[in-house]
Amino acid sequence: MAESGSSVEFSGTLTSSNLPPARTRIFKIIVIGDSGVGKTCLTYRFCAGRFPEKTEATIGVDFRERLVEIDGEKIKIQLWDTAGQERFRKSMVQHYYRNVHAVVFVYDVTNAASFRSLPAWIEECKQHALGTEVPRILVGNKCDLQDSVQVGTDVAQQFADTHSMPLFETSAKNPNSQEDGGNSDHVEAIFMTVAHKLKSQKPLVLSQPPVGSGGTVNLSKGGTDGGEGSRSWGCSGGC
Amino acid sequence: MKRLKNKKQKAGVEVNGNGSVTREPDCGRKQKLSEINQALISDPVDIETLRRAAASKGGLLTDELRRKVWPKLLNINVYDLPHKPGRDVRENHKDFNQVVLDVTRSMKRFPKGMPASERAVLQEQMTDIILEVLKRTPQLHYYQGYHDVAVTLLLVVGERMTIAMLDTLSNHHLRDFMDPTMDSTKHILNYLMPILEQVDRELHDFMIRAEVGTIFALSWLITWYGHVLSDFKHTMRLYDFFLASHPLMPIYLAATIVLHREKEVKKTECDMAMVHHLLSRIPQDLPYELLIGQAQDLFDQYPPSLLAKRAALQPRKSLSISTFQAFQLATLHQRPDTVLQRLTKAQGSSTSRQAPRQSGLEAALPQEQGRLWGKGNRMVKMAVWGLSATLGAAVFAVAQTAMDWGPEVLLQLF
Repeated sequence: MAESGSSVEFSGTLTSSNLPPARTRIFKIIVIGDSGVGKTCLTYRFCAGRFPEKTEATIGVDFRERLVEIDGEKIKIQLWDTAGQERFRKSMVQHYYRNVHAVVFVYDVTNAASFRSLPAWIEECKQHALGTEVPRILVGNKCDLQDSVQVGTDVAQQFADTHSMPLFETSAKNPNSQEDGGNSDHVEAIFMTVAHKLKSQKPLVLSQPPVGSGGTVNLSKGGTDGGEGSRSWGCSGGC
Repeated sequence: MKRLKNKKQKAGVEVNGNGSVTREPDCGRKQKLSEINQALISDPVDIETLRRAAASKGGLLTDELRRKVWPKLLNINVYDLPHKPGRDVRENHKDFNQVVLDVTRSMKRFPKGMPASERAVLQEQMTDIILEVLKRTPQLHYYQGYHDVAVTLLLVVGERMTIAMLDTLSNHHLRDFMDPTMDSTKHILNYLMPILEQVDRELHDFMIRAEVGTIFALSWLITWYGHVLSDFKHTMRLYDFFLASHPLMPIYLAATIVLHREKEVKKTECDMAMVHHLLSRIPQDLPYELLIGQAQDLFDQYPPSLLAKRAALQPRKSLSISTFQAFQLATLHQRPDTVLQRLTKAQGSSTSRQAPRQSGLEAALPQEQGRLWGKGNRMVKMAVWGLSATLGAAVFAVAQTAMDWGPEVLLQLF
């Protein structure tokens, strides 16, 4: 609680003291994947700007948000961090799939089972009318644990291609990241990439799934014209 | 509940009548302590008084009393506790991975000063306890948050008693949460809005408009607030209350918390995310005693049956609710510990006497405990933690002759 509490303090200050103008657009992104793959860590990192000391099991859904500026426009990014255990997603999390603009699928590169669950998660999204028309990205987390990698980049990339998603491999907790800023920017880049993608989709009717992206969401280096994002695409090699 | 309330008033009068001492809180506390002790040695145990004490101001007051009263509230014979699970409990268990994952991540539930080695032992016990209880009743399904209940019990009553208590709770108060799906849990959550509707229509309508749902209260309900409170003394206080109450009481408390924050809620943007965000973050400085009293009043005023009718809640069989009355009745015929001890012995269950000795020795980490206790007063609290957790089982073996066993007694023994 202490950790998630501080995350709240952060976003709390954001909402109370830094209230965006009424017209601020909101991008709602849901983060899903098996239990223990690091969803809470990723969302916390992005919203609080640092890694949580420890995270606990998420019960139901947690909400975090952050105000960012893209091309001079202030945009509120809402992240819905969900419980990984199957029983929660069946009848509890449904409510939070509504009006979602993008989906982030997370697996743990050191846990092959979490990768094998991805088709079920994708199916889950489809059932909530979140198909390929909604920007979706795939995140392989914990790539700092190089010695215990069970899901190779090539396999993951192939899967991502099949499902028309860009792949990021990252670590929400990289010991080196403090010094060289490497992976911590990664987490930043992941969500900023999604935000850029959403922003570039016009017209964007926020209460409906964005249209016009076609069957393939092919985010390339050029797509992340915000700057921070561009380096992240090379992560398949780096991690 | 009506009867409980009358008794509460009576007790209040007694306290006042006894009020020659100027510091009334202390006087009330003393009075309460003696009432609880008296209730414990009554034959049969005066369960009504224990329930009233657990719910009223201050709850059960001390960990020592909790170790005596909690089992009574659940109709558990402390002289006939389940054995420590063997290593085989972990084999081929469908929930093993999930349990280990959640238990490993539960570090924050343990007291800050606790040495990592001691915490590690408790976490191992926690895993075994959870798996053991699930194994006993195959219909029970693990949910994330169940471990928060287990750790709360473990920190207070020790391993073997936790198995017994968790087993009972899982088949009664927590039963609805342990179905294969969370549909029953959702049903229980559905009682929340009707309570709000009865008390504050405007607030209720605001929340409906925001479409906030009730998931913000999910972790409150299924962990009895253990997951969201950072101060363990508040968690224990609420456990006193819930152990003595109807299984729906956590929902009534949730309602009082929302009502308590009514102004904040109404000031928030009428939007699902904003309202969910506000409500799911429980303030750590809530006036718990006040809210507990209010929750009881709400329960009396709008009992579940009335809500179900008024709110046209879809009928659904709740095992927690439907078995509660019988469960409560069963608690009325308990013998006091001194009698239980004699009877249990007489029944020739020599195994249950020997086992604790053994398990105590196994689990006690003799060196560590010795070191802790050697550090004098400052460490007494730590010792109590260690004791309740790792030696809880041994207590019953060592202090069998001491009617008023407790940490103090044990400290002297060692």
